[in-house]
Amino acid sequence: MKHLLITGNEAAAWGARLIKPHFIPTFPITPQTECIETLARWKVEGDLPDTDFERMESEHSVMSAAIGAAAVGVRVFTATSSQGLMLMHEVLYIASGMRLPIVMVNISRGLSAPVTLWSDHNDFLDQRDSGWIMFHAENNQEVLDMVLQGYRIAEDPRVLLPVMVNMDGYVLSFTDEPVIIPSYEDVKQFLPAYDPQHTITSDRPVTVGPPVMDEYTDYKAQMHLASRNALTVLDEVQNDFEKIFGRRYHTVDEFMLDDAELVLITQGSMSTTAKAAILEMREEGIKVGLLRLRVIRPWPGEIICKALQNVKAIAVIDRNIAPGKGGIMLPEIVESLYHSINRPLVSGFIVGLGGKPQTEAKIKEITHKLANDLASGRPRIEWNDVEVS
Amino acid sequence: MQPIKNIKDIPEFDLLTGGSSVCAGCGPSMGLKLALKVLGPKTIIINSAGCMTLLPLFPNTPLKVSWIHNAIENAATTAAGARHGLDALGIKDMNVVVYAGDGATYDIGFASLSATAIKNERVIYICYNNQAYGNTGFQCTTATPYGSDTKTTPRGKENPIGNTTIHKDMLKLMGVHRVYCATASLAYPVDFLNKINKAKERDGFSYIELLGTCATGWNFDPRYTIKISRLAVRCGMWPLYEIDDRKLSLNKEFKELKPVDEYLQLQGRYKQLPPDGVIKLQSLVNEHWAELNEFNEKRYV
Repeated sequence: MKHLLITGNEAAAWGARLIKPHFIPTFPITPQTECIETLARWKVEGDLPDTDFERMESEHSVMSAAIGAAAVGVRVFTATSSQGLMLMHEVLYIASGMRLPIVMVNISRGLSAPVTLWSDHNDFLDQRDSGWIMFHAENNQEVLDMVLQGYRIAEDPRVLLPVMVNMDGYVLSFTDEPVIIPSYEDVKQFLPAYDPQHTITSDRPVTVGPPVMDEYTDYKAQMHLASRNALTVLDEVQNDFEKIFGRRYHTVDEFMLDDAELVLITQGSMSTTAKAAILEMREEGIKVGLLRLRVIRPWPGEIICKALQNVKAIAVIDRNIAPGKGGIMLPEIVESLYHSINRPLVSGFIVGLGGKPQTEAKIKEITHKLANDLASGRPRIEWNDVEVS
Repeated sequence: MQPIKNIKDIPEFDLLTGGSSVCAGCGPSMGLKLALKVLGPKTIIINSAGCMTLLPLFPNTPLKVSWIHNAIENAATTAAGARHGLDALGIKDMNVVVYAGDGATYDIGFASLSATAIKNERVIYICYNNQAYGNTGFQCTTATPYGSDTKTTPRGKENPIGNTTIHKDMLKLMGVHRVYCATASLAYPVDFLNKINKAKERDGFSYIELLGTCATGWNFDPRYTIKISRLAVRCGMWPLYEIDDRKLSLNKEFKELKPVDEYLQLQGRYKQLPPDGVIKLQSLVNEHWAELNEFNEKRYV
């Protein structure tokens, strides 16, 4: 174990280095590039002796090669971002449909057009229904830890689905943070050598990805159940992770929720800013807390519901936009709360598109608006950074 | 494996057995059946979406080798991934073979193919070229010959020719990747299988293009699959040649080509091609044949 001051990209690369994947197909894209450059440098310096680092000609081919290798029965890692993830879109469904335990880091960036290099969450939320297990990290330590945990979950026979670890571009990808780098020995104890459930070897012919007729629904139902299983597996993995590394992540990250009347629901790096704002607002006597969505798929609806059972009003802060609808996570939260006995007021705020900074002041403003909504009994849906009329 | 001298040397075993849902007289499935006789059981076929995707239909398969179907445009890079996976496992004795149609090869999958070829991945890429998107009902690709009627280039008042685009010279394109390239025809199985054998022995990428004679799309009586495959070669519509280390070798030389009309007459897709269209097609064939003869046994690309 050692402490390093590293970027989110390097934390992702460290995660890959520690688990020693057999195969890393790559294609560069801002802001992911530093991650694969780091791996390429380590490869040539001899730090990845058991890993095959390969350049592909597109992200579509990155995922295609990942599928080819994973189908044969080896451990695969890759990373992408934004337009690259969109180009992979077709094959993401094939990777999950073939039940291949690939782990990929996505460094989130807003989608063209117009071009932006900075983060919002539309890229990976567009993959929400692709069958991948989806995590969203708050900081660089969590990026590394989620890569390690990702393989345990993906490779579990009850799950066998690919895992996407998301982090916010620039804010995490290019920002140095102190990160604990676990030892190879500890990682090996946590994640033993790969023992694939399904392989293609010379002894036994296997057909992967054939057409089906009526069985299509059965396959999709199995994928759904497998994804739901991941919630159970996640808890077990956290237990093992805590035993070995002394850290634990909960399926949803709860911050000052115990006595909170107002709750902000956030994702990713802005949660850290929001937590700082909450500490200040608490000093002023405002009973505000935060719930951070760490696991997007499978959707931990019951856990979210339980965490929010005593709150009065919620602001769902969406760093994404479904034009013509609104924030993507708002309806997910509302759906989960619909069945709860205590149905809190829910307002929606669309913020931070294309990397627009989310300051503590903005978080406080949202909280005050939410308090007003609670007082008036009228929820709102509002763009935080722009006048929309 | 030793080169095959005559048809009696072709192994009798079959790794593509009966019970598939392909059309009567299907050339591409015959091609795979033949190729597997040389490739043997230690083979993974990587298939791109197309007619051959219907060979296995869950829970049945006529195949006795492994098979991965990913999507349409990514068979080459899926194969590259499978090869890297096998390498990681220390498995050296497996053939990784792409079996993809011309749409998947010439059009939508060209980037994936080019990247895999230029990196000289140990993959045998067989394109079964039936000169259109066959599985969707015969639409034009960039492999479709000039003058062919297809569903997206139908003959009509405004355009009596059908497809007016001259097809991509794929062998030349693949030749510049400095890999082993060859054309093949079902009517010349010894030539075809020796080319597969050559590719199998290579420690790198090979590209073999088999004329995927297609009774349904080309609209001919299924019993003529081999006859038409032979005529294609005799008329110069489908010359048999190789490019190895950028050098060209003609594998079937003829003093004189048969007129293309003899080949066209047997197929519904050319039936109403007007005389000026036939003349144009003949001139394209003559031009290509002259070029191949000029560069025979010389550096070509």
